[in-house]
Amino acid sequence: MNGFVIKRILLVFSLICLVTGGAQYCSAATEAGSMEEPDWLDDDPFGDEGGNVGGAETVFDPLEPMNRFFFEFNDNLYYLILKPVNRFYSIVVPREFRTCFGNFFYNLASPIRLVNNLLQGDFVDAGAVLSRFVINSTLGVYGFGDVASQEFGLKPRPGDLGQTLGVWGVGEGAYLCLPVFGPSNLRDIVGFAGDSYMHPVGHFNDGNMVANIAFYTGRQVNNLSLNPNVYEELKSYALDPYVSMREAYFDYRVKLISGDQAADGHPQPLMDQEGKYE
Amino acid sequence: MNNRQRITVLTCAIVFSLVSVVWAVTSPTGQLKPTLQSIIDVIIDDSFKGEGRKNVRRQKIMAHVDKGFDFEEMSRRVLGRTWLDLSAVDQGRFIEQFTKLLENVYIGKLEAYGGEQIQYLDEKIKGDRAMVTTIVPGQTKGLPVNYIMIDKGGDWMVYDLKIEGIGLIKNYREQFKSILKRNDFQGLIKELEKKNKSFQ
Repeated sequence: MNGFVIKRILLVFSLICLVTGGAQYCSAATEAGSMEEPDWLDDDPFGDEGGNVGGAETVFDPLEPMNRFFFEFNDNLYYLILKPVNRFYSIVVPREFRTCFGNFFYNLASPIRLVNNLLQGDFVDAGAVLSRFVINSTLGVYGFGDVASQEFGLKPRPGDLGQTLGVWGVGEGAYLCLPVFGPSNLRDIVGFAGDSYMHPVGHFNDGNMVANIAFYTGRQVNNLSLNPNVYEELKSYALDPYVSMREAYFDYRVKLISGDQAADGHPQPLMDQEGKYE
Repeated sequence: MNNRQRITVLTCAIVFSLVSVVWAVTSPTGQLKPTLQSIIDVIIDDSFKGEGRKNVRRQKIMAHVDKGFDFEEMSRRVLGRTWLDLSAVDQGRFIEQFTKLLENVYIGKLEAYGGEQIQYLDEKIKGDRAMVTTIVPGQTKGLPVNYIMIDKGGDWMVYDLKIEGIGLIKNYREQFKSILKRNDFQGLIKELEKKNKSFQ
């Protein structure tokens, strides 16, 4: 009976967490700064299409009504559960610890980035991912510190299966705004499912769903605490936040795929600017 | 000062001003820098700081912004074909509100960074367009802003901004499109006015 209650609680928390998916992607977009750009100088506002700057770049969104429904759902989830939880979490856990946890979670997912950089034929980045993993797991003490970036100048390299598929030329497919998970598309959600097999946490707990979800919840809450306000900022600027987030997600993914080499679009800030862990 | 000296000084002055003009015309970054610098100067000016002096400060800033940003071009681009169907009066109303919105988003961002000096990272020119890549260094993370510019009769004017990886004009264009599907232009203007009020 007690176990059941605990499972329930964990489930609710897991729900909480995943909404951050959205905030996370946006914040990732915010971090990816100066890198190879998609060609921004190639547009034509009054071309044949009329008013389609960069005509081909319209997001395919046939499921808009459903997506909007889940957007609203996630919005409520954010304000009713996530935000209060995050406020509490940020007060209880000092920022330095949260940064360390963020590093730890990021390091743990290294196999995904390694495999995907290899699949993309990007051996330089794959090497960097591997070096980072080795350095941070040892000198960085189980990945809690990001020594590789601070002492060795090895910046994080992104890599996920959705991106790999994009590099291979697979289109986005329909845009999806998923409950709890946030903005995605057909290609990226397939990639996400594939990537989850490569995440070590699943192999350590014998496929225990509850443990997986608890892990994921912890990670997402921690990520949100490192990037608060991203979602709220987007909302404050937007007249139609649903569309704004859709476009932002699209821009973010296009940039990761087209400008991959120099990209630095990892989802969480891995260190304080001062770079102190002690 | 004799005549000859006068002429020398005058010649020097003319040559210098010409050089600076030519330099500004040829380089998008060269033209953008002074505009942004005067914005930063207002932001860090103590006599304009604080929420109470926001209106005066913004007025000052926008006077500088106007010299380097083409808000009409932005408005045309963000509305696309809809722009062509508008009367001159409505076009004017739209420019006014959209300018206000960009002010709230873009200047608001710069202000949030407390007037940190802008770093210029890259410049690309392609025909009559150019992109200048900048970053505002911040305490935890920088604010990357790309300025997309067009050559308007020898002046490089900003017609699109990419803030933190998000293309402003495209993002708003899609939003406006979506609003115009369920609403007419007057409704859009009303929503813009409402949004702008929310920043006060």
